[in-house]
Amino acid sequence: MEILIYGIVNSVSLALMALGFTLVYGVSRLPNFAHGSLYVTTGFITWLLLQRLGVPYLIAMLISLVFIAAVGAAMYNFILVRIRGMSISEIIASYAIGLAILEGLRWGGLKGTTHTLPVFASGSVDILGVVVDSHRLLVILLGAILVGLLWVFVNRTRLGLALKGMAQDERAALTLGIDSDRMAVMSMALGAIMAGLAALVLLPLGNIVVEAGYHVLIMAVAVCIVGGLGSWTGAILAAFLIGFAQIFTVAWLGPHFQVVVALLAIILTLISRPSGLFGRQKELEERV
Amino acid sequence: MRKMTARWPLILALMVGVCLTAPSAPAWAADPIVLGCPLSTAFLYGWDAERGIRLAAEEINAQGGVKVGNEKRPLAVEVIDTRDLEPGVPVSEALLGVEKLLLEKKADFIVGGPVRSEAALAAMPIIAKAQKISILTSGSLTPKYSEMVGQQPDKFKYLFRISGESKWMVTGEIIPCLEEIGKKYNLDRLAIMVQDVAHARAGGAIIAKVMAGKGWKVLDPEVYPTGATDFSMGLVKAKNEKAQVLLIWMDMPETSILLKQWNDMKVPALPFGSIIAAAEQPGFWAATEGKGEFCLANVVNAGNAPSQATPWTMKFVDAYQKKYGLEPEGYGTSSSYMAVYVIKDAIERAGSLDPEKLVAAMKATDLMGVYGRIKFDPQTNQVIPSLDPNEGAVGTIFQWQAGKRVVVFPPKIATGQILLPPWMTAGEKK
Amino acid sequence: MEAVMATRRKERLDRGIKVRTDGIYAVSSWREIAYLVLPRLLLIGGLLLMPLLLSQAPYWQRVVSIVCIYSLLAISFDFLAHFVGLVSLGGALYIGVGAYIAALLNTHFGLPSWVTVPLSTILGGGFCTLLLWPCLPLRGVYFAIVSLMFPLLAARIIEALDIFGGTDGILGVDGFSSKWMEMYVLIALVLLILFGLRRLVNEDLGLVFRGVKDNDQAVKASGIDVITIKALGVFIASAIGCLGGAMLSHLYMWAGLSQFALDFSIIPIAATVVGGGGTLAGPVIGCLILVPISELLRDFGTLRIAVYALILCGFIVFKSEGLMVYGSRKYQQFERWVQI
Repeated sequence: MEILIYGIVNSVSLALMALGFTLVYGVSRLPNFAHGSLYVTTGFITWLLLQRLGVPYLIAMLISLVFIAAVGAAMYNFILVRIRGMSISEIIASYAIGLAILEGLRWGGLKGTTHTLPVFASGSVDILGVVVDSHRLLVILLGAILVGLLWVFVNRTRLGLALKGMAQDERAALTLGIDSDRMAVMSMALGAIMAGLAALVLLPLGNIVVEAGYHVLIMAVAVCIVGGLGSWTGAILAAFLIGFAQIFTVAWLGPHFQVVVALLAIILTLISRPSGLFGRQKELEERV
Repeated sequence: MRKMTARWPLILALMVGVCLTAPSAPAWAADPIVLGCPLSTAFLYGWDAERGIRLAAEEINAQGGVKVGNEKRPLAVEVIDTRDLEPGVPVSEALLGVEKLLLEKKADFIVGGPVRSEAALAAMPIIAKAQKISILTSGSLTPKYSEMVGQQPDKFKYLFRISGESKWMVTGEIIPCLEEIGKKYNLDRLAIMVQDVAHARAGGAIIAKVMAGKGWKVLDPEVYPTGATDFSMGLVKAKNEKAQVLLIWMDMPETSILLKQWNDMKVPALPFGSIIAAAEQPGFWAATEGKGEFCLANVVNAGNAPSQATPWTMKFVDAYQKKYGLEPEGYGTSSSYMAVYVIKDAIERAGSLDPEKLVAAMKATDLMGVYGRIKFDPQTNQVIPSLDPNEGAVGTIFQWQAGKRVVVFPPKIATGQILLPPWMTAGEKK
Repeated sequence: MEAVMATRRKERLDRGIKVRTDGIYAVSSWREIAYLVLPRLLLIGGLLLMPLLLSQAPYWQRVVSIVCIYSLLAISFDFLAHFVGLVSLGGALYIGVGAYIAALLNTHFGLPSWVTVPLSTILGGGFCTLLLWPCLPLRGVYFAIVSLMFPLLAARIIEALDIFGGTDGILGVDGFSSKWMEMYVLIALVLLILFGLRRLVNEDLGLVFRGVKDNDQAVKASGIDVITIKALGVFIASAIGCLGGAMLSHLYMWAGLSQFALDFSIIPIAATVVGGGGTLAGPVIGCLILVPISELLRDFGTLRIAVYALILCGFIVFKSEGLMVYGSRKYQQFERWVQI
């Protein structure tokens, strides 16, 4: 029973971490390796506003989301746009930006263990004999709401449909008058917001540390690869797969094999089905 | 073959650049004694040592410096960031830092780190080769360090450690303290959660063995990788199997997550941090919104939390608070502070900076310090621990009570009693 | 701006001397010979002289050794990426495997360093090739990501299983007898491998390698097994990396988990980007620049990495060809504006 509940919590957390990454990749084929640093930055800014400047929690969250969206957009607009299409360069450049942000934050005072955000709801709930703290339940709820909103946004709004069009066929979208670069900027901003939202939902459970940036990046990449790069449903399914696999290893093998499982999952998936378990297979593009 | 030309201006510029910048060792007007400190300054166990060392050096310089033979010489502190606690950074980077201190900064002593065990161990031959006295003060707790000195006392005679070592911490402090808790509240079920590093694993295993021998029921230890962020499964297990004491041995910041989860889930077990990075800091209370109350934490040496171990203890805590605006933080603070005074003492007795004379003087150290009497084991150069500040270096275990760090062990210096969280005592009354 | 662009363009032409030195006529005059030989001599002579010039600064001599180890890794990355078409982000795997093998051979079997280093080069290369074998069919970004995961996994497995000294690492590895030897052995190795590889990529085998990179289907159609060729490339590259790892473990008398650290994967790539990919000599120059810069920036503490990352980012975005390509273009060609 606890495996089920904590497995769901873990899976939803993973899905939240990965959604922003897969959104950006899905729309603009841009592996955004600065994803983790956007996550940490949002947390840090919220912390600054909340604990240092005394801004109310909700407003602090909104401000930092707007800020992080601007950072994401600027990153694309000024830097990444110049190397569109060269995937290795994109990886290196975005990773370098992420590294600069993270280490800059560390230099700017983000060190130690005293940076935390308050939980939305304290206390704990007893579900069928398993005690879960309320914030974790909220994580499940908020995660579900976010995924739902994202779905509505993509399938029901003009902008969302344009993004989807880009993802499916960039050239056809161009002929229909969809500006590819503008859409890429939008997707980066959206991806940054998703990273920020994940941070706001998940960080109150822990504390804001630079290392979280690297952790989030690895987990996001793992989920996206197993699920198939760019596939949203795949990412969510993969999040559950990895999430439960991790909880099972903790329960039966010992927690120190947790990361090993994630890494093995990536390697095995890439070797056997490079497009992921749920992605569109493009056999010729990815293998000899 | 086409592409292989035109590199000469570059190389020339580079070589000139390197040549110009290389021999730029600064020249001082006076002739200070240089303390080289290889520390991972972005982390608690790096900056705690840096602050301790700087405080001591300032105090000594304010009193006129160190008397070497007939002249008074000031102390200069050279800190270098080794980044060895950062994941993704090879230890060779830290070793290069140590070499920079030795070769370029002309350090006369190495004080502080390297902090990570792997780096501290790997740095041993380098420091020994340079024939400089080194005092390890923070971070590395692995017994292997003093074992290696003991095995090759001739080669490693320059290497001392003034902070704790995990074997003594387990047998001398943690186990007696556990027994005391067990007797007082009638508890005998122990769950162990350790970080996946050598000293924590070994420490957890010894505790498990000894406590099982003493009639406790010990659950299987849970080993967490460095940087783990979710501890719910281990806590659920502990709760289901009715653990009453939760032994935690992790020197990573994520431990504050563990304590928050512990509080949120109201796990009826007393968290006992043999090493628990997050709970050591005074800022811990605010960071967890008080959820870390009742957590016990070991800060290795007295003086890292306010207590009356020796007359010097509060003098040190107050001086630290005056300079940095908060109480000493990590477990490497008082030991790093004392290391500087030990060096001063040794130099003044040796009367010179000759390494052989200094080794002899260091080995003869007998100084009443912040955390008791400082003496080194003649074989392993490890500071001799004790439960009595008049006998040797004392440790400190404190408990968070109502926003304060109350020292509860060893009994000779305790300022309060160990308390249980309300959800544990409520259960007992039923 | 656009009007200007439309009326004139930049034209690049080979210098006369460049054309004259392409063929056998290069030996016709001292000037031509000098044109060909001078840049090479500068690199060789510069590297060989460096330890002597730095004899007053022993710390910087150590930096030279580190530069050489990173250079080996960077050459291996450049070779694999630009001549075989496999972008490997896992340089740390090679270093770690090489270092652990050398350290184990030395501490368990008591073999001296002149045996362990070549042995771990060969064994390590073979081991890495076997590990990566199942991934060889992958292309582009897929191979890049999978190779990035291997060093992380290796470190975690050693940590979780607590083998080979666990988190304490392997200690008591023999050092080299003198610092001059370690520096000159490393420098000689770098030069040997650099010029050896440059020769290799112009042989028939190099042609096949490039064929695999540019059009593997065509290679396949010619009856050559692509996977075998790729495996050979990976073996060469990983053996070079393992050589660096073995040298590192003897240099610092230790092998440990952190030899699988990300830095060993990142810095060689950065050096290749800065120095110029596809030139083999460029990565060495990149290392000669980046590693000392990183040492000079030490005083900035953690800001160092941020600065470093920004330099890398700037290069990849604004000067992605790299210094070496830029330099050789200036050396071999002149530019002029022509009206259209």
